[in-house]
Amino acid sequence: MKKKLLAFLMAGTMALSLAACGGAAATDGGASTDGGASTDTAAASTTSDSGEYDLRVLNGKPEINDQLQTLAAKYEEETGVKVKIETIGGDEKASDALKGYYQADNMPDIFFVETNDIPDWDGKLVDLAGEQWTEDTDGELIVDGKTYGFPYSIEATALGYNKEILDKAGVDPSKLTTPAAWKEAAATIDSKKDELGITAVFGWCTEPSNLGWSSGTHVFGQYLDAGQAWDDRTYIDMLNDGGKIDEARMKDFADFIGMMNEYSDPDLVIDGNYDMQVNGFAEGKYAFVTQGNWIAANMVTNDAYTGFECGFAPYAFEDGLDTIIGGVPNFWAVYADGNVDAAKAFLQWCSEDSAQQIFVEEAQLISPYSDCAYTSDAPFAASIASYISSGKISYWHTMEKKSGLEDKTSVVFNQYAQGALDADSFVSTMAQVIESYYAE
Amino acid sequence: MHTKEKTSSVIAKVVIAVIVAIYVLFPFALVVLNSCKAKNDITNNPIGFEGASFSQLLQNLNDVINNKSFLFWNAFGYSALITVLSLVLLALFGAMAAWVICRNKTKWSLAIYFTFIASMIIPFQVVMLPLISTFREAGNFIGIPMLMSVQGIVFAYLGFGGAMTVFILNGFIKGIPYDLEEAASIDGCSPEQTFFRVIFPLLTPVITTVTILNGMWIWNDYLLPSLMLGRSGDIKTLPIAVQAFVGSYVKQWNLILTGALLAILPMVILFLIAQKQIMKGMIEGAVKG
Amino acid sequence: MKEASSIKRIVSFICLIAGIGLFVWAMALDFSGADVKYRGWLFILGVIGIIAGLYLFPTLKYHRTIINIIFLFPLLFAFFITVILPMFLGLFYSFTDWNGIEYHNFVGVENYAKMFRQPSFVWSILITALFVVANMILVNLVAFLLALLCTSKLKGMGFFRAAYFLPNLIGGIVLGYIWQFIFANVVTMMTNSLFNVRHSMLANTNTAFAGIVIVYIWQYAGYIMLIYITGLNTVPGDVLEAAAIDGANPVQTLFEIKIPMIAPTITICTFLTLTSAFKQFDVNLSLTNGAGAVPSFMGEFITNGTEMLALNIYSTAITERSYSYAQSKAFLFFVILACVSIIQVRISNKKEVEL
Repeated sequence: MKKKLLAFLMAGTMALSLAACGGAAATDGGASTDGGASTDTAAASTTSDSGEYDLRVLNGKPEINDQLQTLAAKYEEETGVKVKIETIGGDEKASDALKGYYQADNMPDIFFVETNDIPDWDGKLVDLAGEQWTEDTDGELIVDGKTYGFPYSIEATALGYNKEILDKAGVDPSKLTTPAAWKEAAATIDSKKDELGITAVFGWCTEPSNLGWSSGTHVFGQYLDAGQAWDDRTYIDMLNDGGKIDEARMKDFADFIGMMNEYSDPDLVIDGNYDMQVNGFAEGKYAFVTQGNWIAANMVTNDAYTGFECGFAPYAFEDGLDTIIGGVPNFWAVYADGNVDAAKAFLQWCSEDSAQQIFVEEAQLISPYSDCAYTSDAPFAASIASYISSGKISYWHTMEKKSGLEDKTSVVFNQYAQGALDADSFVSTMAQVIESYYAE
Repeated sequence: MHTKEKTSSVIAKVVIAVIVAIYVLFPFALVVLNSCKAKNDITNNPIGFEGASFSQLLQNLNDVINNKSFLFWNAFGYSALITVLSLVLLALFGAMAAWVICRNKTKWSLAIYFTFIASMIIPFQVVMLPLISTFREAGNFIGIPMLMSVQGIVFAYLGFGGAMTVFILNGFIKGIPYDLEEAASIDGCSPEQTFFRVIFPLLTPVITTVTILNGMWIWNDYLLPSLMLGRSGDIKTLPIAVQAFVGSYVKQWNLILTGALLAILPMVILFLIAQKQIMKGMIEGAVKG
Repeated sequence: MKEASSIKRIVSFICLIAGIGLFVWAMALDFSGADVKYRGWLFILGVIGIIAGLYLFPTLKYHRTIINIIFLFPLLFAFFITVILPMFLGLFYSFTDWNGIEYHNFVGVENYAKMFRQPSFVWSILITALFVVANMILVNLVAFLLALLCTSKLKGMGFFRAAYFLPNLIGGIVLGYIWQFIFANVVTMMTNSLFNVRHSMLANTNTAFAGIVIVYIWQYAGYIMLIYITGLNTVPGDVLEAAAIDGANPVQTLFEIKIPMIAPTITICTFLTLTSAFKQFDVNLSLTNGAGAVPSFMGEFITNGTEMLALNIYSTAITERSYSYAQSKAFLFFVILACVSIIQVRISNKKEVEL
């Protein structure tokens, strides 16, 4: 009797385990060919606790969470559709967390994607081509001819400057388009540090554990795209072809970074943090800062920010590189097995007037929609607009590099700033680190 | 034996003890101190008292508790619910299983016992990735979600905590004279009555021990809940909720440290109340584990 | 009595039949793919019915066996689903190209062969070994000294004992953030004024590693100390008295009486520090996230200077999205841990016998 029962027990658990294996292997076919049925099971098994909402939106930018909650309330007020905004915070990359959601069958209807996430979601996203909003923007994410991403903001980065300090030091930011001009300007400002009341010329930080995205993605992106035309993919294609770099260009870039290291705040450059960097710039301690327009939101909440005019100057590490880099940092994509119609309607509404007002005026984002009636008075917004209108903006292909590369390259930037590497060994180390990461 | 220790050596010992205590308690003091400050005061001078005030502490507490991405009471409630449910079930089912294993010397019970012991060495990393897919499929199979759900994570804690619980309880049950059970059986008690009326009440001290050990582990656990509950879902435990402050762009130290204070406070209060039992439990757990 | 048992018999059969019926119904709904919310309830009621039916099953001979099975089932079932099954699935996946969701091909031992050619992973193994050795020595030494301190007959030692134990109550992730704050703000300020070292300890690979060790000792020494105190308290007073009468000085008492007599405690403590240091994850993640430069190792510049095994496995899976590769690394981790534990227990047992 006992043996029989144990056998039954074992058989039962075996059956369960086999089902688990079989199910795992069959997920792919099930999801793509039989979308309808799997939608139902997914909905039944996971939405028990969020059933009162019509639409779930997963947001990857914790800093605009409050504004998105306002947005959802407004949408409900206007249309009666209940939208739930969920925000992923934390140090970990939000797109990694999303993968866990997929594993757990807990996918929201709308979620954020970055360009290099798209291959992971192959066959699971809705093609948004033909939606009305696509006519009002050039920023939508198109991969292999299909429109996957809804853009909600434009971000741009270059060397942000404090116009007041440059004026006082007699430096004209529009002339900073050659390495020589940069060197001269940096030396000039450095020599007048005391009289300008600044700590250092550059607020530049290479701390890798928390701020690796800044050096490893954004500053590294200048190597890839500075001075390039919007659709020029030369250096990103080289990089994604097994991790190759153009050594001559990287050397010029290294020399420029070397200059930044030399004139940086030694308390910030190696082991500082985002707060220190942004607050330092907002409080007028640095003439330049190596971040993008997203710091505006942090600057305006700093009581010591006097409202000085800000703008961007290009990373001119070779003569004539006079563009800033930018683009849409991440997009909202619609999950194919979710509530697709409601999601499409919500996105259309988000491109329209009442949503744009919240995006631009409350969340301080820069709208990618040509018919947007609101203009941001945020720091940097005017400068970005003038670069865009004169066509001097390069697309940031840095978002298309292999996932996790920034964790590796940021350490190399940090070693360079610590003085463990010189310009030449920075180039050779960078080449080797990138190549071996792509080889994994 | 009772020779008086030299005054110099007494002083030396006290001085060392105090220095070590400062080193050990310093981080706690910093958390409390900086929870009483505004963000800028923390960055300007993390160890000074400038800007520290009780009203600022209330302000921070208010910000943390009402923060939309922290949802303190929600997280606290789920942490408490998950911990209590897991502990009750572990104690009950653990005692039941340990009793059966201990009182039946068959090759089955031995095999089960040694599997439990051997499994204690398996690092979590070995099972964490397949665990998620197993739970997803199991949830689909039985029609009850096992991921992003309280029942799922309680079930997982039952599985992960089972081995050590059985091991410690087994050691204790061995020491209970079998005569007690025979006497009960002669009095007409069925096996289950014997267990619940005679054995289970005797287990109180050792159940306290395993509950303390498991409780500290479950309350503080980060990796398992972050994988099984997700980091933005409705169900969050306290360690995950604290992480919600640590945005990838902004480090709001005043809120992070106040959140940390709230997360460690229940443990510290519990420790102050039940100091002796907790220390005793931890020692027994180690000596037997 | 007879009547009661016939009622019991009927109830038992009803429960069994109803339970099996509900169970089969739930399964049928599952396989037919019907979308019904009550499927889970049917399943639970079915299982409860079966258990109740078995419990009331009219047999005296097998009643004990049935009780045994019912008592074992919940814990064993949970253990099987959460530990045993994923472990074997994981072993299987480590030979495939599993991506966390599905697999397409078998790759044989490719994943295992690859890891030894990857300098950053070999580095992780080495640094973990170093961390384990450093902690086994330091934590035990610190804990033992504190235990000696706390067992000396001075007033107020109860307070110190509790204080030293306190850090052990805090979870790794919260603790990591607290220490990150301390290293970033306080320690740098101190090293700057004392040694004129301007940068955070965490910016340099060696000192960052030391930082993790410091935090670990801070967290763990108090706990190990408690166990040593228990061990020291078992040393009989009359033995110590006899030694004192024979004129042994405190150092001799320590090395010739106390330490030999608490050998089993030393075994337990080294074992505890060994396994827990091996599995270190939370503090590693929240303090450095593994970053750190090593200029030349196996001919390469390495950027994960402080990344220990558990974190390396985690980031291989989660950041780099190589699930099957991470799974095979995890298995190697398991094998290393198992071997080291067995060797350690063997050696300690031998030592105890010799003493």
